[in-house]
Amino acid sequence: MIYFLGKWLNPDAGFFSFLRLVDYLSARAIGAALTAIILTLFFTPVFIRYLHRRGLVDQCRDTGIASSFDKAGTPAMGGAIVTGCILVSCLLWCNLSNLYLLTVVVGMTWFGAIGLMDDLAKTRARSGNHGLSESKKLLLQASFAALLVACLASPFSPLPPDQAATFYIPFLKTPLFISPWIYFPIVFFFVLVVGNSVNITDGLDGLAIVPSVFVLGVLGIFGWILGNKIWASYLNYPTLPGAGELAVFASAFAGAGIGFLWFNAYPAQVFMGDTGALAIGGCMAVVSVLLKQEALFLILGGLFVAEALSSQIQDKIGIRWLGRRIFLRAPLHHQMQHKGLAETKVVIRLWIASGILALTALATLKLR
Amino acid sequence: MQTIKRILLTGGGTAGHVNPALAIGSVLASDESRFLFVGVRGRVEEEVVPHEGIPIKYVRASGFPGGISPKWARFLFDLTAGVLKSIYILLLFRPQIIIGTGGYASAPVVVAASLLRRLRLCSARIFIHEQNAVPGKLNRLMGRFAHKVLVTFPESLSHFPDNGLLVGYPLRRRIARVSREEAIQKANIAVPEGRKIILVFGGSQGSRTINRAMVDALKYLLPYRDKLLIIHGVGLFKSSDYNAVADTEARLHRLYSEEQLKEIGSFYTYQSFFHNIENLYGLSDLVVARAGAGSLNEISAMGLPVLIIPKSNLPGDHQVMNARSMERAGGAEILYEQIAPVDGVLSEWIDGELLAARLLSLIRDDSRLQSMRERSDSFLNHDALSRIARVILKEESTAEQDSVPARIPTTAPLPGNRALLSLLEKALEKQKTGYRPEFVITRPQDLEYLKNRASALLIHPSWQERNLGVKLLGLLQARERIPALLTLFFDRTPAPLIQRFFGGDYRQVGFIRRNIIVSLVRINVVSQEVERAFLAGLEDPYYEVRVEAARAVEFFNSRLSYPKNFLAALLKLLDDSILDVSVAAAEALGKVGGEYDALPALLGRWDSRFWKMRAAVLRGILHLVERGEVGRLDLVEAQVPRFILTSTDFAPHFEIKSVYRQLMESVSRKKEKRVAQ
Repeated sequence: MIYFLGKWLNPDAGFFSFLRLVDYLSARAIGAALTAIILTLFFTPVFIRYLHRRGLVDQCRDTGIASSFDKAGTPAMGGAIVTGCILVSCLLWCNLSNLYLLTVVVGMTWFGAIGLMDDLAKTRARSGNHGLSESKKLLLQASFAALLVACLASPFSPLPPDQAATFYIPFLKTPLFISPWIYFPIVFFFVLVVGNSVNITDGLDGLAIVPSVFVLGVLGIFGWILGNKIWASYLNYPTLPGAGELAVFASAFAGAGIGFLWFNAYPAQVFMGDTGALAIGGCMAVVSVLLKQEALFLILGGLFVAEALSSQIQDKIGIRWLGRRIFLRAPLHHQMQHKGLAETKVVIRLWIASGILALTALATLKLR
Repeated sequence: MQTIKRILLTGGGTAGHVNPALAIGSVLASDESRFLFVGVRGRVEEEVVPHEGIPIKYVRASGFPGGISPKWARFLFDLTAGVLKSIYILLLFRPQIIIGTGGYASAPVVVAASLLRRLRLCSARIFIHEQNAVPGKLNRLMGRFAHKVLVTFPESLSHFPDNGLLVGYPLRRRIARVSREEAIQKANIAVPEGRKIILVFGGSQGSRTINRAMVDALKYLLPYRDKLLIIHGVGLFKSSDYNAVADTEARLHRLYSEEQLKEIGSFYTYQSFFHNIENLYGLSDLVVARAGAGSLNEISAMGLPVLIIPKSNLPGDHQVMNARSMERAGGAEILYEQIAPVDGVLSEWIDGELLAARLLSLIRDDSRLQSMRERSDSFLNHDALSRIARVILKEESTAEQDSVPARIPTTAPLPGNRALLSLLEKALEKQKTGYRPEFVITRPQDLEYLKNRASALLIHPSWQERNLGVKLLGLLQARERIPALLTLFFDRTPAPLIQRFFGGDYRQVGFIRRNIIVSLVRINVVSQEVERAFLAGLEDPYYEVRVEAARAVEFFNSRLSYPKNFLAALLKLLDDSILDVSVAAAEALGKVGGEYDALPALLGRWDSRFWKMRAAVLRGILHLVERGEVGRLDLVEAQVPRFILTSTDFAPHFEIKSVYRQLMESVSRKKEKRVAQ
């Protein structure tokens, strides 16, 4: 909104000439981040008390015997406030006619809505394992993935037509292949896997939010560079005109994420719940796809990949099929806890690991 | 009485479904009535029905697939094809009533008929007869389309609350009751004075389990040979696998010497088939039989006490359910088949000694036999056929309700296996020490049945089910099933190659082996064989088995016959690559080790990388000291302070949560007191 206001009020010179700031991505990015962080810091406590009053807490208190350090009774659904603050911040600072931005916002909202339904179903059933059924969730997610693929293949795609079906891998200047028949199925499954990986990671206080801020931060930098003709050609990337708007989105995300961490840090006052986990997973997946960095995500989001893989291998191959455990515990963070690390220590170590991965991913910018 | 002109009979697959249909048909028959039988090609009905002079037509049908499987496609295809053909048959024949007796053959006809009724193209009334205590899935579904579901056992009524009606079992041939004197004359069997006569048979085909157990039991019955006469029908079954007559003959000669056989001959005789079963019934004081609906109804019609050996692992466990129904009524006792190692392979088996003991205790107790005889007599309606006829004809003419009194069973149905598991697990959690399955399952007969149902799972093809069986047996504390568990544990058949590639090992997967050890601990009985399993468990390729075996050694400690046996294996496990294993081993060493073997090894782990291991080692040393095993306390005092005491974990304390709990506990205590006052 501020973007359009600035454009409208800024006829080259005059009283509102300072508003040409909105032409600069950097200024809007900083504005978006600050807005998001202030909004979250201000509204989350209000929201937390609202959740308590409505009884929308993580599990029912009288299901089991409460141990002295259990987490029952912590409100979930904190993701709703994160998503909301990102949306408001984007509404204020982004160019709302940018197709990149619209795609990401739709993705985040869609996945967030699925998570919200799940969270509500769980609290209604007063049980942690009676949410939306697995297959229903997957079906809703798959329908978005299919929609995204259709959008990318259509003339309404935000990407330039020559980039529609290219698949890039890190350290290689040219696309690995250009084939819609291979690329689009990859995108479809990528969205499903990445969309759910945050949900699996989100098991300890603060564990999911910091690495996702890292991931979106790096993706924001990529967006900034790929949207810029000079830098993109300097670094041998295809130019994606308009992708710079994703940097504004990413910084709004980072702001909201840090604001959320304020309350989510150990011991947490609020969880992001499925609402937040799926929304974050959704926008990470969509941004990666739009910036053609699906393969880079294996490094950049290595933590999420490891968490998702360990949990799936343990459950699907080990417990269901072979009749044995393959890891002591799964996903990864439970394995670390099982070996005797305190929750706080596990979380900080995994933050460090994801920071290293993010820096490595950033290094691939130049190493091509 | 109005006569019905066109009657359609359907049902089949086995004689158990065809015979009731024919029986009902025969009682409705008059000069004007025409019959048509609809069945499935290639099954019993193809032979039996034309033999009765009833025209037969065939439809496609297949059984209801359990769970999600590719069989669904075939089932749906067959059902659709069957329904289409049935519609054609129904439109041509235009029956006034349809009688379905279950088995999947009747499903297409019933579905087609109810479809046509909706379209007002067919006016037939639909009756379904359910022979067993627990209706099959398909029959339960078909029940919704029927006007009346006629049932044999009172238990089935709960499945058909709207239209169920207790009528009994339509026995085809009228079996006349023959008096004992008459029977002795006719049966042509010399019955010495003062002997109790036991009739043993496992259906017309015979039953391998019963036949073998009977032969085994003779050894224990020999001393009572002048009080008994056993007439055993071994059955006609013949296949490459098992030949009833030859196997019985061979087993007799293998187990007994010539002299013994002579003695046995004085009170035991076997035949392949009974041609004159009425007479034999008339003679008998006690019957040993399977629990097919037909057999039980015959026996009840003759008013005989019966020791039932239900066949396990049938769809819906229906023989067991039939048997339990009659047992509850008091006319029968049940001897369950066990799942036990036979030549190293788990299969159905009955202990001959147990069979002998049950037979002896029954025939010695005349008053018990008498009461069983009376209850058996009153168990089921003897006049099912005429009652069925009344119900059908009355409905046909006046549509008036026949007020047949129904005995509604008072006992609640027992939980299924998975529900039972969670019930028992909850009870165990509540009652850590002194847990008994009797807290959950109070009736001993029920407990016996559940143990039996659980052990039947041990030979299930899917490992998940076998695993469930193992867990249940542990929670039910089934001592007598320990041999079966051990056989399963020592079964080292390798898993399929593809699974081994991904880390599988044996057919009895890691979870099963782990849970066998856990169950053995829960059953809480040690023996040499059990100890052998623990020792093998300590060297198992799967780590959780090693963990549980070490915990088992820790649990039983001094009750083990020679705890030092385990030392070498436990010491080796201290260096196991899996943390959980070395932790369990360190704690177990504290319980079975001594000053000169375990202590030095434990003290040497002072700088172990994981605090959990160091804590376990300290706990192990603590056990040693507490047990008074350590003489050199100075050494312990000098060495233990070396231990690295830093830890990467801690237990947080949340003040508000502990206050909350204190408050709630206080409130509930006060409330209890108030109730007590």
